[in-house]
Amino acid sequence: MSEPNLTEPSPPDTGPVTGPIADLSYRTYDGPLSPPRARWWAIARAASRQTFAKRGFWILTVLGAWYYLVMIVIVFFVEQVLSASPQPTNRAMDFFTRIVWKDQFLHGLSFAQLIFMIVTLMAGAGAIANDNRANALLVYLSKPCTKGDYIIGKWIGVFMPVFVAMALPTFVFYLYGAMTFQSYGFLTADPWMGPKLLALLPLMAAFQTSLILGFSSCFNQGRLAGFAYAGLYMLTNLFTQLMVGVFMNYVSRDNTAIDQVPATVKTFFYASIDGLNIGLTKAILGTHGSPYFGIPSRIPSMRAPELLPVLALIIALSVGATVLAWRRVRAVEVVG
Amino acid sequence: MREVPLNPRPALSQGLNSARVNVASIRQLTVRYGSFTALSDFTVDIPVGCVGLLGPNGAGKTTLIKALLGLVDPASGSGEVLGADIRREGRTVRQRVGLMPEQDCHLPGMTAVGFVAYAGELAGMPAAQALRRAHEVLEYCQLGEARYRNVETFSTGMKQKIKLAQALVHGPRLLLLDEPTNGLDPHGREEMLELVRDVSHGKDVSVLVSSHILPDIERTCDQVIVVTQGRLVAQGMIKDLKRLEGQPVDIELKDPNGAFLNALLTAGVTLLGEIPLGYRVQAPGRPEETAALAFAAARSTGAQIRRFHVATRSLEEAFLEVIR
Amino acid sequence: MIVLDHASRWYGQVIGLNDVTCTIPVGITALLGENGAGKSTMMRMITGQLRPTTGTVRIFGLDPFANPEVFRRLGYCPEIDQFYEWMTGRQFVQHLARLQGYSAAEASRRTDETIARVGMADRADRRLQGYSKGMRQRIKLAQALLTDPDVILLDEPLNGLDPVGRREFMDLLAHLALEGKSIVVSSHILFEVEQMTRSILLLHRGRLLATGDLRAIRGLIDRHPHRIRLETPDPRAAASYLANLPFVLEILFDPSGEALEVRTREPDQFYNAVADLAVLHGIPIHGLESPDNNLESVFRYLVNA
Repeated sequence: MSEPNLTEPSPPDTGPVTGPIADLSYRTYDGPLSPPRARWWAIARAASRQTFAKRGFWILTVLGAWYYLVMIVIVFFVEQVLSASPQPTNRAMDFFTRIVWKDQFLHGLSFAQLIFMIVTLMAGAGAIANDNRANALLVYLSKPCTKGDYIIGKWIGVFMPVFVAMALPTFVFYLYGAMTFQSYGFLTADPWMGPKLLALLPLMAAFQTSLILGFSSCFNQGRLAGFAYAGLYMLTNLFTQLMVGVFMNYVSRDNTAIDQVPATVKTFFYASIDGLNIGLTKAILGTHGSPYFGIPSRIPSMRAPELLPVLALIIALSVGATVLAWRRVRAVEVVG
Repeated sequence: MREVPLNPRPALSQGLNSARVNVASIRQLTVRYGSFTALSDFTVDIPVGCVGLLGPNGAGKTTLIKALLGLVDPASGSGEVLGADIRREGRTVRQRVGLMPEQDCHLPGMTAVGFVAYAGELAGMPAAQALRRAHEVLEYCQLGEARYRNVETFSTGMKQKIKLAQALVHGPRLLLLDEPTNGLDPHGREEMLELVRDVSHGKDVSVLVSSHILPDIERTCDQVIVVTQGRLVAQGMIKDLKRLEGQPVDIELKDPNGAFLNALLTAGVTLLGEIPLGYRVQAPGRPEETAALAFAAARSTGAQIRRFHVATRSLEEAFLEVIR
Repeated sequence: MIVLDHASRWYGQVIGLNDVTCTIPVGITALLGENGAGKSTMMRMITGQLRPTTGTVRIFGLDPFANPEVFRRLGYCPEIDQFYEWMTGRQFVQHLARLQGYSAAEASRRTDETIARVGMADRADRRLQGYSKGMRQRIKLAQALLTDPDVILLDEPLNGLDPVGRREFMDLLAHLALEGKSIVVSSHILFEVEQMTRSILLLHRGRLLATGDLRAIRGLIDRHPHRIRLETPDPRAAASYLANLPFVLEILFDPSGEALEVRTREPDQFYNAVADLAVLHGIPIHGLESPDNNLESVFRYLVNA
């Protein structure tokens, strides 16, 4: 006997009495049902919707653009200075010849690292932790979902807000720059700047997402997972600040003494969550950094790390954290 | 868009279940957890209708339910639920089956309607249908007033009902209920049992109820499956399991009265045993003849009969006997 | 044994118990009520964890609050299901025995005794982590029995037990009751409670609704006359006789045509009338019973009033 296809709605009723009083008792659902394939998109959508609905998320995203906003203001003022005087001063002209546009993205992303961390917490700290407490996996597994759907769905659901928070200010500034700074070599200084940014941002977002999911899966409360992640962030940050301190010690006395900085400091300079992000940015964008805000300074920045080791490390950590989340997600006994 | 008639009860002939006799068939299923065998060469046909699943703790009921959801990887054997293979088509099975789990579970930070609609989406319903249906199902489960509240503020009774709602939202043809009256006070139990009875009769939904509380099973189910030590030990209609051979009769008196018993025995009635405040007897004829004799005896000896009915085993007794 | 005198307890504005006065005697008493009716509050007051805001609670004439005298004679089986999972059953009970103040030797002796009493002697040396629900309930009872108390309180003790376990536990409680102890059992599963005892204590929204013997209480619920169902192939004929009796208030015919239901405030007279029906008028009778003469109906009538 052939099975009626579940995904087609049944033909109209022929039997029941139609009368003035409606029958509101239970009726089964005969409407459309998608075939029972992967459900991760529904999970991702629900997870990201929860983050996007928070006002704090959007406020933070805007705040993450603060460096860009400052730069726009500075450029505006310098332009005013240039156009005001008939003879352009050296300093003003210097500004536009010296400025490295891709470094502005570097700085923008560097200064927003703390904000990105908070956004990551907001999007992901409770993602799995709250489900652990509420025993939600029981609900997921009793539907046509698998653990794979769940993890992938959660991952994408956290990735999307984190990526948006990182990419939106960057994208807006890029557009602005492409339109107004063309004459200053915005698009020509490094023609690959756009694609490089496009490659960099998802990697950064993926890294944060994987880490927070790893932490989230280890706890029963979003808050605790958040504290743990923030704790790791701060601790490693402290460590790299030490490195920066030592570095500054050497190069502030003698601006060319960059080679005298001990190898340890050089190796561990980027050994923190934000450090890895910044290192990755430098490596992908292909820059060693330059003075902030275009303000001249003779203190050099630390050189960019090699791309491959940094990339490898970030990928390894991301994969490791995701695998941890996979294993920690308790496929609770579905019944009893 | 199809016009929905005002009285939309679907004709049973279009239901998935009307064309079949069994909702699920399991054949020689063996499931092991490490060295422990949970189900051993298990074979059962779960019929359409409302079926109770009974068995002592650790008997394999849990594993059977997992198997019916397509969530186990058996060592051997096969099975199909509503036409889908449990080994290979797990997702399809779970799209056609609804589970009301025993433990507390929900999705954090959602309203009742959000939770149930999401559950529907997870089952494959389009978002709009899921939301519409969530409202419908919440009304049916008597949670209409609380539908916009956060699930985490719900009382025990409401949590049980919403577990039922999320199991029903995608219109499954087989519903698995695990201890549906867990933690409910008498009022809540009444409501839940009414719901279960209602959904399992005449609505083209088959229900499998797993419970330790046998009166609940008696109230809602017509047949039972008894499992112990990983095997099926009994299956059948409840009234058949309860029937006692030869139609003995229980007579309960207001106060104990020895003269009454003597009068009965003189009249040709055999005493089978004593029950609280009364006797279980066997008479040669039909129950009403026994009744006539009994009432006559009562009048003549000054006893007062308060209860008189054909004796049945309680489901509990039948169960205890079967698993011994 | 347990006497409450106008005891009330509230938490901020939320009332837990409202002016409850009752005496709990020897034997098994069922403490009943909906969720939130005040059963837990009452139990905690009796076990001395809470003080009544007004009124008094006295066990053996003493105030139970923080009173080791009372604790020694009282055993409590709470509803919560959390233990030190890494301990074995025996270790757990022994630990609690030591906490009671017994010496190591005494604690060991008592542990063995109570564990044997609850039927766990062969399984007590496994980790609590692997225990089934039934085993956990028994361990809880074992620790409650350590001091050989005169009063035992159990909060939902049959929760999660399968029918076999349930029966065994109820037999255990029956034995304890026969030893002269006062046992208070709080449960939602009314049909089981009914099998254990007829003495009930019903709370509703913090107030005491009824206390005493179930039958007596049923007899006193005036608002709901007794329902008595008569199964007979000829209900109309039976009805024609019954309709003349003044104590028959209502006659309802069953849709099946094989039975009728009568409401009356005088069950005694009615049952006699049934005998007359059978013998004098020759009406064939298949069955006779009172469907609302059980705990569940009494509960519903009292709570919904």
